[in-house]
Amino acid sequence: MGQQANQPLPDGYQLEEYTIERQLSLGGFSIVYLATDKSGMQVAIKEYLPNSLALRAPGETKPTITEEHLGAFRYGMKCFFEEGRALARLSHPNVIRVLNFFRANDTVYMVMHYEHGRTLQEYIHTHHGHITERFIRGLFTRMLNGLREVHSHKLLHLDLKPSNIYLRANNVPVLIDFGAARVTLSNDEPILKPMYTPGYASPEHYGERKNIGPWSDIYSVGASMYACLAGTPPPPADERLQKDTLQPAILRWQGQYSERLLEIVDWCLHLDHLYRPQSVFALQKALVEEIKPVTENKNWLGRMVDRIRKGSS
Amino acid sequence: MRFTIYQESRQGGRSNNEDRTTYCYSRNALMMAVADGMGGHHYGEVAAQIAIQTLADSFQREAKPSLRDPFSFLQKAMNNAHQSIMDYSMRHGLSDSPRTTCVACIVQDNVAYWAHAGDSRLFLMRAGKVIAQTKDHSRIRLLLDEGLITPAQAATHPDRNKIYSCLGGPGLPEIEFSRKTPLEHGDIVLLCSDGLWGVTSGDMMAVTLKGANLMQAVPMLMSQTEIKAGQYGDNLSVVAVRWEESYIEDLSSAISTQTMALNEVTTHMDEFGRGASAKTDLTEDEIEKAIEEIRNAIEKYTPNK
Repeated sequence: MGQQANQPLPDGYQLEEYTIERQLSLGGFSIVYLATDKSGMQVAIKEYLPNSLALRAPGETKPTITEEHLGAFRYGMKCFFEEGRALARLSHPNVIRVLNFFRANDTVYMVMHYEHGRTLQEYIHTHHGHITERFIRGLFTRMLNGLREVHSHKLLHLDLKPSNIYLRANNVPVLIDFGAARVTLSNDEPILKPMYTPGYASPEHYGERKNIGPWSDIYSVGASMYACLAGTPPPPADERLQKDTLQPAILRWQGQYSERLLEIVDWCLHLDHLYRPQSVFALQKALVEEIKPVTENKNWLGRMVDRIRKGSS
Repeated sequence: MRFTIYQESRQGGRSNNEDRTTYCYSRNALMMAVADGMGGHHYGEVAAQIAIQTLADSFQREAKPSLRDPFSFLQKAMNNAHQSIMDYSMRHGLSDSPRTTCVACIVQDNVAYWAHAGDSRLFLMRAGKVIAQTKDHSRIRLLLDEGLITPAQAATHPDRNKIYSCLGGPGLPEIEFSRKTPLEHGDIVLLCSDGLWGVTSGDMMAVTLKGANLMQAVPMLMSQTEIKAGQYGDNLSVVAVRWEESYIEDLSSAISTQTMALNEVTTHMDEFGRGASAKTDLTEDEIEKAIEEIRNAIEKYTPNK
């Protein structure tokens, strides 16, 4: 099936109670619009529109779905529902909030909170080479709070990358775009081509995908941290499996960042999923445990304070 | 190795497809297999899937890049498949184990090795003629061999679908092996389920496929068979390969394994439950219900409301 471009709904289109302002992004599965609701609040609306199965011609509002694709279209809709269902239950400051869900134009729509800010991708571009360790640790620790919440609902993100990590104006990260998210315990084999981003997708994303788990998202977290350091993602995992040209972070940035941080990056990027942190919690623990400078214990005052603290507790 | 290969499985007139096919190849070896599941409640499908999966998994493990002994590979893999089906029925407390026929073929160093249990067949065709084929493990074939019935009677005999060897089921499967058969350029090896050979004879297929492009001729053969079998036709499946060391006409569909890594294996298999009809069960009601459920969840989990 060839790729065909789907036409977005026109600007100014009245979609139920929302007015479309403009298209924000176009993915393989969906189109995201910026819109305003009755009260004038800005929202992001995601329209389920897999472009291999449903085609919206210019000037139309309803997509054309052929008889032959209806089954797969409906099946994909099920996945979209899974995403909505899971996100609806997630009320977490580091995860995008779903506000509404409705059916129109023969397809379904998810209304989400619109976040002002920029993506980590944009941040990396503007701060290339000047991202501090403190920023990385702080950002990823908080982002992982969100990811933990996601995993605890038996959901995997599966498309984590800097452009899916949104930074609010105060640099608080929010996970967006759960379009690739899958319920982990579902046995269904997706009919629709799973999507992933080369460089950020784990080795398990390729091939049979039977080993996909929390550690696959963790690979993507590692790749995103790597991108913060390098400005570009590591080589795609499938290429690494053939011939690994990835220079370990611990060698590449020796002396520029703490060894512990570089170790963590390499740990997450291990090709064998069993050697990676097995849970977000394990990774988070590693990220925060040595945030204290190592010199602290050598300071006699610090030692004293420690002793007093221990004595009183 | 150079060859052109095509596989397809169709549901025919049945409510589900209990046939499975696969082919895998490494740099030096090619494996093809067809399994035709039997038994109610979709379990036939499971048996066929287990058989095909076991064969493909074993091949991926062992063909690096050659199989040490293709016959012992086939024997081991098919027996393992039998065992896995038994394990499955134990685990799920099935009173009767699901069963499946199985025919598998290995080509390595231009030599073909095949094995089968049941009535899925392999045909070796050369210059438009069938020069070798498997013998079904069916009562009807025994009666035919003994001259007790004529081929015409066999075609309509009530027991024509009864087989005495298969994977799964109480008895150990009787697995029959071929001879080592050297292949010549242009030879066609075709594996199929009874849905195909029961309607279109091997001789007919050999004539049709002679000199034709498999990528077009085999689907056509399948379509004709499906039409002939009619509304209630059986599932029909095929894997066909043309061995072509010097085939140059259609380079794009020919597969060359020269550039593959020594430990690389490529597998082509339709995933379980991927049949077109398997996932169409989302009704209008269910859509409405799902939306309702999500809206309720949003309502419930939204703070400040």
